[in-house]
Amino acid sequence: MPCITFIAADGAETVVDAGTGDSLMQVARAHNVDGILAECGGEMMCSTCHVYVEGDWLDRTGTADEDERDMLDFAPCEVTDASRLSCQMKITDDMDGLVVRLPERQV
Amino acid sequence: MAMAPVNDSVTVHRLIDDPYPVYAQMRAHTPVVQVPSVKRTMLTKAEDCRMVKDNPALFSSNDPTTPMEKAFEAHTLMRKDGEEHLRERNAMMPTFSPRNLKTIWAPMYERYAAEYLDRLPRGEVVDLFPTLAGPLAARILAECMGIPDASDEQMQFWSQALIDGAGNFGWFDEPFERVARANKEMNRVIEGNVERAKAAPDQSALSVMLNAEDPIPWSQIVANIKIAIGGGINEPRDALLTIIYGLLTNPDQLEEIKATGNWSAAFEEGVRWVAPIQASSRLVLEDTEIRGCDIPKGTVVMTIQASANHDEDLYEDGHLYNALRKSQPHQSFGSGPHHCMGTHMARMTVGRLLLPILFERFPNMRLENPEDVVWRGFGFRGPINMPVRLN
Repeated sequence: MPCITFIAADGAETVVDAGTGDSLMQVARAHNVDGILAECGGEMMCSTCHVYVEGDWLDRTGTADEDERDMLDFAPCEVTDASRLSCQMKITDDMDGLVVRLPERQV
Repeated sequence: MAMAPVNDSVTVHRLIDDPYPVYAQMRAHTPVVQVPSVKRTMLTKAEDCRMVKDNPALFSSNDPTTPMEKAFEAHTLMRKDGEEHLRERNAMMPTFSPRNLKTIWAPMYERYAAEYLDRLPRGEVVDLFPTLAGPLAARILAECMGIPDASDEQMQFWSQALIDGAGNFGWFDEPFERVARANKEMNRVIEGNVERAKAAPDQSALSVMLNAEDPIPWSQIVANIKIAIGGGINEPRDALLTIIYGLLTNPDQLEEIKATGNWSAAFEEGVRWVAPIQASSRLVLEDTEIRGCDIPKGTVVMTIQASANHDEDLYEDGHLYNALRKSQPHQSFGSGPHHCMGTHMARMTVGRLLLPILFERFPNMRLENPEDVVWRGFGFRGPINMPVRLN
């Protein structure tokens, strides 16, 4: 099971085991990670599951496509090249060790 | 396991007039409870409401016992699941894209907001419900939907008729007769805009749906526009009035929000405090259990987001408006596939645009008698008047 680390805006870390095939948003919700609201439940309609992918991990997670970037426009915090909607990130075996940071707020 | 307890004492009138103490009691003693007066099993805890909304495979939106189909003269996407729901929803989505919101609807809304604010008299008591909150919500929605020739009065009449018809659980004649009249008018106005929308396509919902590569059936195009009319006026209207009340009755919070410019916090807290849509129904497709209560297949459960938003597990003093509270998620826009389509529109227009403009223009706005404000509604809730002195 890939091990994923969520780092909250205040620096608090949550480390969880993720099921491959789930979305990163589902993993966060299943483990009650504060800071991922996921209001729409993964339909890419709400932009409340914004994360920043740490360092080189973008090579493996991929970057946001055009539709995702459009939706990220609704995120209240700064959107960077490392920004992703976690509902659109599917967990794969090679993501073991993935680290993502959470924005200060989602609405 | 046992069935959920029954609460025979709660009447619909009580829920319309003053539901929050009822929900507080339910959360404390019977969080899952059958309420015969509304023929539903109410869920009043945040966790349960969210679970139901996020699990459409078990909790279907297709509740056949509501008067909605008769009111809308259509089986609408609100009462559909899965691919069928998604196809109809996606047909209208482009209108509300982030780009369109930023480049078309936000600037248009600002122009209308300035125009409607210009009409308000200074120095006297004015009711913001009929003079600002209702008409402004109606105007931007008429534009968004692609029926700009519909007047503010028509839009508001149609919206209320649809709401009253869809909520006519007593199956009385008058609401159905009124909504039948409204449907006739809406059909005429929507049809009257078809040629224009085809000849000069724009980003309005009518145009986007008509000119799509693989359009949904005409009946569903019309139904989608009616859904937006039924939900797109009262919600921003009631949210705005609720927030104004919250801020004017908590001047220290208002000053802080003015200083920080964090109007979005004032907005989110307003829709948390009194959710414009207080309750939603879902049909249970398989025998299940919630919080230790048996919920048989065929039960209609009602998520009470009004109650979820006051849940003591999540909020301290949830019954109070506090724009400065630590940000907490609320369920006012729902969750799952039926997550409110107008969420971003509402957050942008009411939260980011109108509130700062309003309080900048009338920095000394006063609500002289807060006790004069009347709140009403079970399914939908908000103030039905907001008498303020503008200065």
